[in-house]
Amino acid sequence: MWLRRLATDRMTRGRSSAPAEEAPLVIAEKVKSALRLAAVNDAAASLGLKGGMALADAKAMYPVIAVADADPEADRRLLAAIADWCDRYTPLVGLDPPDGLILDVTGCAHLFGGEAALCRDIVRRLAAQGFRARVAVADTVGGVWAVARHAASSPSPRMRGEVQAGRRFSPSMVRGGPTLPVQDLQDSVVVVPSGVIRDALLALPLAALRIAPETVAGLAQVGLKRIADVIERPRAPLAARFGEDFVRRLDQAMGREDEPIAPRLPIPPYLAERRFADPIALANDVLGTIESLAHELSRLLERRGEGARRLQAALFRTDGKVHRIEVGTSAPLREGARIRGLFAERLTAIGDDCDPGFGFDVVRLCALATEQSDPLQTGLVASDHAAEFAHLVDRFGARFGLRRITRLVPQDTHIPEFAVAAMPAAEDRRRTPDDGYPSSVLRRLSSDQDSLAPVRPIRLFDRPERIEAFAEVPDGPPIRFRWRHVWHAVAQAEGPERIAMEWWRDDRGNALSRDYFRVESKEGLRVWLYREGCCTPEPKQSQWFLHGLFA
Amino acid sequence: MPAAGPIPDCASLHPGYAAALGDALGQLRRVVAEIDPSPVFGAEAASLGLGVPAVDAALAGGIALGALHEIAPARPVQFGAAFGFALALATLSVAGSRGGRLALLVQTEFAAREAGVPYGPGVDLLGLPMARLLLLRVPRPLDVLWAFEEALKSRAIAAVLAELPEAGAGADLTATRRLSLAARAGGGIGLLLRHRASPLPAAAMTRWEVAATPGTPDAFGGLGRTAFDLSLRRNRRGRCGRFIVHWDHHECCFLPEALSLGVAETARDRSDDARPLVRAG
Repeated sequence: MWLRRLATDRMTRGRSSAPAEEAPLVIAEKVKSALRLAAVNDAAASLGLKGGMALADAKAMYPVIAVADADPEADRRLLAAIADWCDRYTPLVGLDPPDGLILDVTGCAHLFGGEAALCRDIVRRLAAQGFRARVAVADTVGGVWAVARHAASSPSPRMRGEVQAGRRFSPSMVRGGPTLPVQDLQDSVVVVPSGVIRDALLALPLAALRIAPETVAGLAQVGLKRIADVIERPRAPLAARFGEDFVRRLDQAMGREDEPIAPRLPIPPYLAERRFADPIALANDVLGTIESLAHELSRLLERRGEGARRLQAALFRTDGKVHRIEVGTSAPLREGARIRGLFAERLTAIGDDCDPGFGFDVVRLCALATEQSDPLQTGLVASDHAAEFAHLVDRFGARFGLRRITRLVPQDTHIPEFAVAAMPAAEDRRRTPDDGYPSSVLRRLSSDQDSLAPVRPIRLFDRPERIEAFAEVPDGPPIRFRWRHVWHAVAQAEGPERIAMEWWRDDRGNALSRDYFRVESKEGLRVWLYREGCCTPEPKQSQWFLHGLFA
Repeated sequence: MPAAGPIPDCASLHPGYAAALGDALGQLRRVVAEIDPSPVFGAEAASLGLGVPAVDAALAGGIALGALHEIAPARPVQFGAAFGFALALATLSVAGSRGGRLALLVQTEFAAREAGVPYGPGVDLLGLPMARLLLLRVPRPLDVLWAFEEALKSRAIAAVLAELPEAGAGADLTATRRLSLAARAGGGIGLLLRHRASPLPAAAMTRWEVAATPGTPDAFGGLGRTAFDLSLRRNRRGRCGRFIVHWDHHECCFLPEALSLGVAETARDRSDDARPLVRAG
């Protein structure tokens, strides 16, 4: 599939009112410190302007042409967006920059009434969006590239006639493109039936083989201009003279060498979709569709004994935009109603970012990641809340993101900040957490420091708060401290508990150690204070911080 | 012999019969409950006794389960005490629940910056196992209320703590009424933890103001047990009052103030080897 005027179409599409007569438009790009034409539209092409021409020459010939700057990044984004949209025809869409897409329609074409009808549908829908496309179907990637660009688009009428003679099929004409002239649609579809790719390629110029322009020029010098001229020749001299790449491209086009398509998006293992003659826009309709698709999906999943861990709903808007909404689950899931519930949460959370526009005409639900899910024996007296717990986590995950619902897991370190890590609850493989993790630090804390009060605070500040404090002796506990503008007098203090950086982490040997104190004020306020750097050569460097709150 | 057929459901025999049956069962359960106060199999206790007679008497048995309770610090600086009291209640409720129910804390990003994040080792030492605590961080105060309600409805959660740093933050009479209904459906306790006390009316079962109070130091001059100065400001099931209670984090229970150290009776899960052998029959 070749979007032959991608760059200029991008410019014209952006305008609200299209001019009645298409004005010549060229895209200029800086090549080796000279402005040259990168792309031209049809009107400019009919004036004889071509890509690669110097902008000054073009201006000299036609002073009135409109010029725009090239924006390869925008072109690439647009191509990716169109690739997304092409996902409606087949899940296997590959990019062929700068202006092509490769679709693997094996086994998909009959859903759209055959290959020719599929191509016509693509051309018509893209034309409605303002793109001029030429679509071809052939057996090989190289072949389809050649046919789409060179079979019917050659500017020379003589060559076009030959191509028509060489083909054994005639694409039926499509009338009535909504926004683009009819003659564009007539020549826009080429279907090469299976097995005749060689005949279709014979008459094409050698540039159709995706080889460097220098190679084409070199071949032309020795009188080789068409594919027919080289196809019967011995390969070894060709490879020796024009490079291995040339022979490989020829083989790829002929199907003698395999050429895989790199899909832009991962191909989901499970997928269900529904198409609508009339686009739908109401939230309830969309969710209802998702639920019924989820039922279809769950039948597929059930047959394989699997459940979905990550689901994606793709909503194809009529104007070509595709919304992809993903939800994750904490446990393998296949109940339709719950899948609907998760997407309902997600849609609420997204809000206006998922604008239906004029409605969606294709809704697709795919399971991106699945996991084995064995049926569970439920008890007579429901004492196990694992399923309900997973459901709750999924709902929170759909609304806020699965990373926001966490569970605390102790780590084996003394440094207070790192002694515990927050792990996403959905990733914790234990569905029913047992009490107590193995942690030598926690065990040591509770046995070594036997105190009537807990030795660790219940709240910890992410960054310790700087306080003013006074101590009677340099190494002693504070007697007064000021936190958040209020002075507190200390009644009791336990400490110091010296916590230093682990020696194997402290590579430069200058990390400050901390002396922690558990402090109770006269009012009963209990806080966790520390003094940093008390044993440095200069004691004045020592500073006080408040790190946590006790009950 | 009458013809063998499907056994009819007793309740469908007569419309009045089902009602009579329900009455009789209820009566029997009440009689049994008087003989043996331990909860009936399959049903969980309706309230959570704090183990301090004065408080339990004021609350008509204890903190009501399946209800919403409001906790605020007496002064904002004493937020640690309020959070500690809420954690202690969550500890009791998780320990009293069956089937591995969990506690959930919902807080906004702002609250985490303002008042810190729950610290796992400290929570664990206070009595609530770290593995039983879930944390949910949400972007807006409105999301706190939504998540609070969802979690209260779930049977998998025994206690939900929701932090509201702003004074009102949407937890008005209507919102708290919704939350109460959700709590009744789920059966867990909902603890609405305000960062500062709010005078606004709310549909909560109780409203507590918690102040820190100096604990009794131990014999060596170290810090004493964690102590709470509880002011019960509103109580739908009894009178209000002010209590000073201590929290024993080794045994995970509240102690009345007057109790001195080292009293053996407070040990609940001590080994029963010392008990004299009684032979039946």
